[in-house]
Amino acid sequence: MKIEILYPELCNLYGDLANAKYLARSCDAEIINTSLKETPRFISEEVQLVYLAGTTEKGQEIVRDRLRPYIKEIENRINEGGITLVTGNSLEIFGESITDEKGNQVDMLGMFPIKSRRDMMHRYNALYLGKFEDMDIVGFKSQFGHAYGEPQGLFETVRGAGLNPESRWEGIRYGNFMATYLLGPIMVLNPPFAKYVLRLMGVEDAKLAFEDTAMDVYMTRVQEFKDPNRGFEY
Amino acid sequence: MKLRFFLALWAAKLSRPLLKITRHNGTNFPGELALKICPDFLKYVAKPRKIIAVTGTNGKTTVSNMICDILELSGKKVLNNRAGSNINSGISTSLLTGVTIFNRPRFDFAVLEVDERSSKRIYPFVKPELMVITNLFRDSIMRNAHPQYIADFLTDSIPPETKLVLNADDLISSSVAPDNPRVYFGIERMDTDVTECVNLINDMRVCPRCLGELKYEYLRYHHIGRAYCEECGFHSPSYDYTGGDVDTRNMTMNIRDKKGSGSYALLSDSVFNIYNMVAVVALLRELGMSHDEISRYMAKISIVESRYNEMTVGDVALVMQMAKDKNALACSRAFDYVTEQPGNKELFLMVNCLGDEKHWSENVCWLYDCDFEFLARPGVEHIVVTGPRGKDYKLRLLLAGVPEEKIDWARDELEAADLLRLKPGSSVYFFYGTDSVVLAHKVRAKAIEHIQGDDR
Repeated sequence: MKIEILYPELCNLYGDLANAKYLARSCDAEIINTSLKETPRFISEEVQLVYLAGTTEKGQEIVRDRLRPYIKEIENRINEGGITLVTGNSLEIFGESITDEKGNQVDMLGMFPIKSRRDMMHRYNALYLGKFEDMDIVGFKSQFGHAYGEPQGLFETVRGAGLNPESRWEGIRYGNFMATYLLGPIMVLNPPFAKYVLRLMGVEDAKLAFEDTAMDVYMTRVQEFKDPNRGFEY
Repeated sequence: MKLRFFLALWAAKLSRPLLKITRHNGTNFPGELALKICPDFLKYVAKPRKIIAVTGTNGKTTVSNMICDILELSGKKVLNNRAGSNINSGISTSLLTGVTIFNRPRFDFAVLEVDERSSKRIYPFVKPELMVITNLFRDSIMRNAHPQYIADFLTDSIPPETKLVLNADDLISSSVAPDNPRVYFGIERMDTDVTECVNLINDMRVCPRCLGELKYEYLRYHHIGRAYCEECGFHSPSYDYTGGDVDTRNMTMNIRDKKGSGSYALLSDSVFNIYNMVAVVALLRELGMSHDEISRYMAKISIVESRYNEMTVGDVALVMQMAKDKNALACSRAFDYVTEQPGNKELFLMVNCLGDEKHWSENVCWLYDCDFEFLARPGVEHIVVTGPRGKDYKLRLLLAGVPEEKIDWARDELEAADLLRLKPGSSVYFFYGTDSVVLAHKVRAKAIEHIQGDDR
C-alpha cells in the first residue's frame, strides 16, 4: 500500500500533511514524498493514493508547471479509477485559470471546467458543513479565492460556501479524483470520510488510528456546526 | 483639509485627559477619533525627524522597547507606541501625542512597532529611515495566510528609501523589498544547532533560485539558520552584524561588524531573544552608536518575559506559559523550551481561542502544524487538556505519540484543575492563550489551593 505526497516541500500549509499521515497510519501504508525535481511515482508504479496539499500563490504556478508534462498520465489515472486527493487552493491548479483582483490571469492545467477568482486583500474565513453520501462533513476554509463553473461537486453544502458563496456544491469529484477547498487535516476531522477513502484504497474493515477519540471529536464538531446559533463566517 | 486635520488633532488631544479621568488610559481611542474625523490624519500629522520602524512576526515588541530604552538612556527624546497598539490607530495615537496643538513635532526620534498587515495604511504617510524586520513565520491562518504573503505585502508597502535591517538567518524576511538599501544581521554556529529540521513547519525547504532542495549549514528552529543550495550555489546573505561566541552558561556574546566589535551580556538565554539583541545592536550601530555605548546601556535594561512567569508553592513549581493561540509556531517554541527543562513535568493545555468559541468555532488546523510531538518527550508525566477544544488536543497528543494513560480531559477549565496530580518536586506548566489570562490564573489559584490544602 503506497500513498504518494506530491511536492510536500512546497505544498504543506495548515497541517494538511496530517491527512496522508493519518491514512498511512491507519492502513500501514508507505508514504512516498515526491519532490519538485522528481518524476511523480504514480507515473511508473501503482500508488493507491496521490495527495496534493495547499500551497502559496507562487506555489500554485510552480506545481502547475511541474504537473503540466503529466496531464495525460493524470487523466489516465482518473479514468482508470486511481484515487487522488487535493486540498486547499491546490484545487485551483486543476481548473482553467486564476484571475487576481487586478485582472491578471494565469492559465492553470485546464482539466476541469472551473475558473478561479482571487482577491489578495480579502481573505474568506469560514466553517463548513456538508454532506458526502450519508456522511456529515465538517471543515474549515481560509482562502483568497473562489472557483466558478459547474464541475461535478464533491460535497453538498449544508452551511457555508461551496466552490463559491453561491454554489451548492463544494469541491470537484470525477471518478476517484477528489478536490476540496477545505484545508487542514480533513481526514482526521472526518473519520467516516477517511474510512471511505481507505475502502476505496482497498482496505477492508478499516480501523482508524485512535478511532474512538477521533469519532468523539468529530461528533462534537458536527453538533457544533449544526447549531443554528453558531456563526459560520469569521 | 487643514481645518479638518486640526479639528481631528484637537478633538483627539482633548479626548486624552477625558480618557484619563475615566481610567481608559492606553487605548487607541484618540487615534481612532482622529482617523474618523480626518482619514488622512497620518499624512498631515508632523513626524519626528528620524523614524525607526520595527516589524516581523515575533519579537517586534521586545526589539522596539529595547531600542527605545537605549535611545532614551543615551539622552534622546523618543516617541513610541508601547502604550497603544501597532496598527494605524495606535500609530496615530502616538504621533498625535508627539506634536503640539499647532502640529509642531516635540520629539527627535520615533520608534514604532508596526503590525505587518497594517503596513499599507501606515507607510504611505509614515516613512521610516530605518526598519528592522525581526523574522517572518506562519502566524494566524485567517489573518496572515502564509509568510510569503506577508513578505509580499511588506515588499509592496515599504517606502523605497527606507534602509532595512534584516535577519540573514531567515530567508523569508531577508527577501523583503529586494531593491531597498539593506544590512543583514545573524548569529554564527551555536552548540545547540542542527542541520536537519525537526519541526513540522519549515517554510524554506526550496531554493528560491532553482527550486532545488535547500540544505542548512546550521539550523536553529523551523527555517531559521544558514541555508545553501548544492545545485545552484545559492546561499543565505552574509552578515554585516555578526553575533558570535554565544555562551548561555556565562550569558555573554560578541557582536562584530566591519568597524569594530563589542562584548555583550545576554539578557535572556532563549535564542529568540539573542536574535532580538543582535537586531537591536545592528540598528543602533546604523544610527552611529559605538559598541561600548550600546553594551553599557544594554546592561541597564531587561527583557520583560511577560509570557513566562514562575512561582513555587510548597514543593511544586507552577509556571504560567502564555502561548499565542492559533499560532502553531509560538506553541511549538513554547513546547520545545518547556520540555527541554530538567525535571518531571505536568502540563495543563488550555490554549483555546475563547473569542472564536463565543461566535464561531476555532479553526484547529494549526494543531497539525504545531510540534505536539515535543510533548511526548521523557520527563512529561501527565497532561491535562481542557476547554472547548480539549478533545482536539487529546487526539492530537495521541497522534503525536503521547500514551493515552498520560492524558486527562475535562471540558471545564476549573474542573480540569482538579485533575492535576501536583506531585512533590514536579513543575506544572499552564499553557494558555492570549484571551485566557484571567481564566488561567483562576486555574492556577485552584492548583495552589490543592497544594496548600494538601488535597492532591
